[in-house]
Amino acid sequence: MSGLNVERKRISMPAGWWGTLLFVATEATLFGTLFATYFYLRFNTPQWPPAGVPEPKVALPLILTGVLVATTIPVFFGARAALAGRARLAWLLFFVALVIQAGYFGVQVHEFLGDLDKFSPHDSAYASIYFTLLGAHHAHVVVGMAIEVWLLAKLLGGLTPYRLVGVRVAALYWYFVNAVAIGVVLTQVYPAL
Amino acid sequence: MATVIHPEARRRVQRLERIWLDRPGVLGWLTTTDHKKIGILYLFTSLVFFGAGGVEALLVRTQLLTPNGTTLSPGAFSEVMTMHGVTMIFLFVIPISTGAFGNYLVPLMIGARDMAFPRMNAFSFWVFAASGIFMYVGLATGNGPNAGWFDYVPLASRTYNPGSAIDFYALGLIFNAISSTAAAINFIVTIFKMRAPGMALNRMPLFCYAFLAVSFALVFALPALSIDCVFLELDRRLGFSFFEPANGGTVLLWQHLFWIFGHPEVYIIILPAFGIATSIIPTFTRRRMVAFPMVALAEVLVAFIGFGVWAHHMFAVGMSTITTVYFAAASMIVVIPSAIQIFAWLTTLVTGTPIFKTPLLWIIGFIVFFIIGGLSGIMFAAIPFDQQLTDTYFVVAHFHFIIFGAAVFPLLGGLYYWFPKVTGRMYSEPVGQASFWLTFVGSALTFFPMHIVGLLGMPRRVYTYQSGLGWDGYNMAETIGAYILAGGLMLLVANLVVSYFRGPKAPDDPFGGATLEWSIPSPPPHYNFAVIPRVTTPYPMWDEQDRIEDMRKLERGEMVLDGGHETPATSVLDANWDEVIDMPSDSPWPIVTALMMSGVFAMLLTGHLVAMCVFLGLMALAVAAWHGAEPEHEAAT
Repeated sequence: MSGLNVERKRISMPAGWWGTLLFVATEATLFGTLFATYFYLRFNTPQWPPAGVPEPKVALPLILTGVLVATTIPVFFGARAALAGRARLAWLLFFVALVIQAGYFGVQVHEFLGDLDKFSPHDSAYASIYFTLLGAHHAHVVVGMAIEVWLLAKLLGGLTPYRLVGVRVAALYWYFVNAVAIGVVLTQVYPAL
Repeated sequence: MATVIHPEARRRVQRLERIWLDRPGVLGWLTTTDHKKIGILYLFTSLVFFGAGGVEALLVRTQLLTPNGTTLSPGAFSEVMTMHGVTMIFLFVIPISTGAFGNYLVPLMIGARDMAFPRMNAFSFWVFAASGIFMYVGLATGNGPNAGWFDYVPLASRTYNPGSAIDFYALGLIFNAISSTAAAINFIVTIFKMRAPGMALNRMPLFCYAFLAVSFALVFALPALSIDCVFLELDRRLGFSFFEPANGGTVLLWQHLFWIFGHPEVYIIILPAFGIATSIIPTFTRRRMVAFPMVALAEVLVAFIGFGVWAHHMFAVGMSTITTVYFAAASMIVVIPSAIQIFAWLTTLVTGTPIFKTPLLWIIGFIVFFIIGGLSGIMFAAIPFDQQLTDTYFVVAHFHFIIFGAAVFPLLGGLYYWFPKVTGRMYSEPVGQASFWLTFVGSALTFFPMHIVGLLGMPRRVYTYQSGLGWDGYNMAETIGAYILAGGLMLLVANLVVSYFRGPKAPDDPFGGATLEWSIPSPPPHYNFAVIPRVTTPYPMWDEQDRIEDMRKLERGEMVLDGGHETPATSVLDANWDEVIDMPSDSPWPIVTALMMSGVFAMLLTGHLVAMCVFLGLMALAVAAWHGAEPEHEAAT
């Protein structure tokens, strides 16, 4: 467990963690811009959503987001296990998180395609920002899952200082994806509230 | 450290030479991760784009030399004018300041052996180069972006601008933003984590403060531009309705998002100039900067306030009075940090013993132009004045004094100042001074009369004008000035090129500089520092005892870190020793990833979505291969 020596002696976060934090900051700005656009367009329009476009579902998106946000727990404990040197437990916990996230993603893609059948992004500014915001969030989830797949492959070979930085990176990224998911779902269901 | 005599010290230096040896030849340049080589690549690429942007400027000025000019057709004028703006901002000033100066100098100033993420650094460069080529392919195939550098809809919408000109613009800028974001993140982490032990944040050179502020501004400003361009492409290519009023969209959304990026952008352009000025002024006045903490805070504040003033570009679009007044007031606040810096520079000059050599002359030119451009900027914060003069040549005069006079002059001064360090040769001082005066007079003659024709009512972006309006003489003077200015720049290039081959050998520290880059040989060795330097003040080169101590450490073999590509990482605030990290050496994956990404954007442009997905998959594989190999070396502690 030579990787753990470096980890124990560390007095500040590694460069990889800082890099991820800043990447997250720029992505947060990106989502902030999407939220701002949503409400800027909303207050330029008398009827939201416009006539002919169904109100968004409320229960299903909220439940799905609850499930996704719950994966924060295995990610958190997975990261702790890795930093404590328990590679197998960490692998298992990250794998559990990945399975739940993949399930979430599958249902969301199904919902997204269903919405596309009901109304088109061509017809209104509402539909344009609705599909863009959700599409951006789903792409975000895919990136998070890709990082996890890479991490799981790496963790099969045991822990090294480099992989422990990877664990911190994957965990930080997922905390952020889950935080954004809350913002996205609240914006999504807002017209029906 | 050029005079290594001690045999043990010599042996250690030779060992470092061996460890950090770079692959030679063209392949070495394509796969390099050395921040100095990447800086040089950035420098030459951005100078090529500067040449292209300069030719475009001269074409515009030649067209406007006389009334009813016929050099360019109206359509060609729009393309050339748009590409002049896009090139100068995205392909010249940002890459040369952050990419070339930042890359080369920030690690040297903070006593590091490379950037925090050397391969991402290479990736940033190749993506930048590809994005520039991408946009110029548009111009070369007759699809040059033609709706002005800020590309307002509805002019840029599919209805009024069919064809692919605007697609080259929107996709090119998203592509370019990826490069700038990666570079900015790299700078912040480098400055946070890689400073030499002892260089607490309050001992960091002001140059690095400027680059830290720029990088934060880039991280938070670029997403607004990227999202705006995504909306535009969705509208243009897939028929979305973001900017379509008939379906509840609004064209003002484009302007808001563009300027949320665009105003911080102005400070992104000018902050590196501040950083260079605060490096050159102490060296040539032989004294420390006046009000160091105030200047550091002002640099950061400028970047911060820049995010709250965007709508002052939109006073004429019919926003509510309360909005307009807020943005006018907020814009006035920018005066405070700017004035702090101007007074600090001037006081340093007045209370020091200035030596008016070429680099300092460019900085004095910069201060003069920054004051002129700053004063016309304050005028624009007055709403009635702005509404009267918006979209006239007065605006063109204002922002050229700022982004040419103030932002580019220190870059040119910096080229002279660091030329001996980078090449190991001295430039010619008399020719350097002549090139300054020629450029200074040319710039004043080009841009000052624009104030007057603006007040006389000449609108910007027009491809020609009628005679008899009282504009003829001024326009002719501007065009003559532009050619003088070009002559000054040619003289600068000639000076540096001839000096590179014929100049006398430069010593390590020809000017008595204050920062760590002057402590190492000219040109710097691959490993930068034979000993990780000890830092106790923001002017480490003026602390002779510390530098003597570094020499002794080399003899004793302390802090040499020659177990591999090693460099220390330190804590963020106090720069306490944290760990030794093993840096990656050259790698083919950054350029391969950048090439695959170019494929993605080319396929997006041509609408081949399946091929795009193939390139996306290849890109993911390249990223995986990039992260396949781990540092094997176990950190020594």
